[in-house]
Amino acid sequence: MEAAPLTEPVLLILFSLADQPRHGYSILKDVEKMSDGRVVLSTGTLYGALRRLLDDGWIERAAEKNTPRGRQAYKLTALGRKSLQLEVGRLKHLTRLASLRVAVRES
Amino acid sequence: MLRIYQRLLQLYPGTHRRNFEDEMSAVFEELCGDVATKALATRLLFYVREGSGLLFGAFREHWRQSGIRRFSMQGEFRFPKATWILMTIILAGVVTAIEKGEAISASYSRLNPPAGPSYVPGQHALLSGIAESFLVIYGLGLLVWAVAFVLRRSEAH
Repeated sequence: MEAAPLTEPVLLILFSLADQPRHGYSILKDVEKMSDGRVVLSTGTLYGALRRLLDDGWIERAAEKNTPRGRQAYKLTALGRKSLQLEVGRLKHLTRLASLRVAVRES
Repeated sequence: MLRIYQRLLQLYPGTHRRNFEDEMSAVFEELCGDVATKALATRLLFYVREGSGLLFGAFREHWRQSGIRRFSMQGEFRFPKATWILMTIILAGVVTAIEKGEAISASYSRLNPPAGPSYVPGQHALLSGIAESFLVIYGLGLLVWAVAFVLRRSEAH
């Protein structure tokens, strides 16, 4: 069965981890920056999403030496990266379709 | 504020606390540092967002751990084969018991015809009662599934 589309906060968290491992505070700030301040996650929402992504094997804790527990970093797994690429492909298709239809309507 | 936050964290299930309590406290502390110099309204909004996020998060984690999530949040969910077999056996048993009961009732009434007005055993009433019970249970199941689905989709932030 095809997986359900990701919610915006989860998608933004995955985008945030796509280029480098990040810890919780860094993810929150990056998500806020990427969405121009529109999506501001609470710590409860962030760690709920991180827990689900960990359970699904989409992200993992980045092994860093001498990292205090409060600064634990997370990174995408191969499965997470592949799933994110699929989601980006789906969004591209939707955007292309929407652009075509809007253009037809305008013309 | 950190102490209140840590108190609220106690609402989470133990497994979640063991995995994330320190991280969540540390991140909250950093965020508090960020908003410390902001306007009162911004600070209030931040505290409300964090408080509600924690409450929703704790509720969601308890909900997930209660096992209801398995019925609603995974598209690949299937009843185990043993459940199907057990349900079929129970249904067959109920139907057989009803038929046996009807047969006994019919033979008994032939041997001892009633003196008063004849009474046909309420087969249809019994069957419709069972059907109604199944419908009610099915409806409740659908309702629980819908609530769980909405909770998952909302992501409450």
